[in-house]
Amino acid sequence: MKQLNSMADLFNRLNDLKVAFSYGEKYIPIIQSIIDFMKQTVPLLETINTSISDTAVKIPKAKDQINNVSSATELATTEILDIVDSISLEIEKIETDVKSIQKMEDEKKKIWGQIKESINASPEVIELIEKYEKLDMIREEIPKILNVFQKTRNDVNNITLSLQVQDITSQQLAAVNHLIESVREKLSSLIQNLNESETKESSILNISIPKGATFDPNAEYTKSTEKQDVADSLVSSSLNKTTQDEIDKLFS
Amino acid sequence: MKKVILVADDSPSIRKFVSFALTMKGFEIISCADGMEALEKLPSEKINLVITDLNMPNMDGFELIKAIRGNEELKEIPIIILSSLGGSEEIQKGISYGANSYLIKPFDPKRVVYEVSKYLN
Repeated sequence: MKQLNSMADLFNRLNDLKVAFSYGEKYIPIIQSIIDFMKQTVPLLETINTSISDTAVKIPKAKDQINNVSSATELATTEILDIVDSISLEIEKIETDVKSIQKMEDEKKKIWGQIKESINASPEVIELIEKYEKLDMIREEIPKILNVFQKTRNDVNNITLSLQVQDITSQQLAAVNHLIESVREKLSSLIQNLNESETKESSILNISIPKGATFDPNAEYTKSTEKQDVADSLVSSSLNKTTQDEIDKLFS
Repeated sequence: MKKVILVADDSPSIRKFVSFALTMKGFEIISCADGMEALEKLPSEKINLVITDLNMPNMDGFELIKAIRGNEELKEIPIIILSSLGGSEEIQKGISYGANSYLIKPFDPKRVVYEVSKYLN
């Protein structure tokens, strides 16, 4: 009986061995393919590591380039504004001169009327006077000239408004710079982690605006008055509300 | 005598825009790049009004307003905030700190002149 048991054990072991062999037959190629995959992956990981290092090194240059763009647009905007400023001053001066000419022309017209009334001129002289009056159109042209000045002043105002796009883009670029710097920091920590062959939770990119940041990441260039209207309504709860009519009245 | 306005903004172009709009209307402008510089200039110059940005290095606009309102000699100066921050939270914070007006960038130069005239004319 004991012999029979031993034989049964033996067959069981042989069965186990058979199973192990058949498993081996089945899984050895898989294990081999895993080894092959790892052989291929390791150089790839090394390439990724080198690439990350390269990128991390290049990021400061990208930041510098963004800063250069900001500085250049700042300078150009200031130069444009200087020119606009000088144009405005010229317009102001000419407008003042035209207004004094208008005053003088009004005075001239009054005196001219008095002269016409007091002289007892011949029909030839009256004809000459009428001809002269038709040629003397300066007075009639002055309001048109003043309207052009008003339009130009409005255009200058709109240029000033549009040029503020520079300040808004500067803030947006500063926000991009901050984003790039955050990516660089995370890449650096990733490189360190890869070298140490361990992963840390800190490699998760968490981009937040630092305290004391001098830029507004949400700054936008828009001519919509929606935000200003909200500001006005909030301010008006403690102060008088401003209407567009009041502003226009001031500049009319 | 010309009324003097102090403009605190770290953006040179914004300082220029404000100066451009206000000097045309006969105001004198003193410019500063941050709140700290503004606070240094305030007692030495005869300032009639302050226009300040909020995001500035060294000392931001909120701190500047707080410092002005906490100073016996300066506390009556009208303050206009000029910022791209347009959220209700910032606006309410600005008002609660003591700002008289709140203008959002980009701003209409006419509106700046109007706000200044409200306090100085």
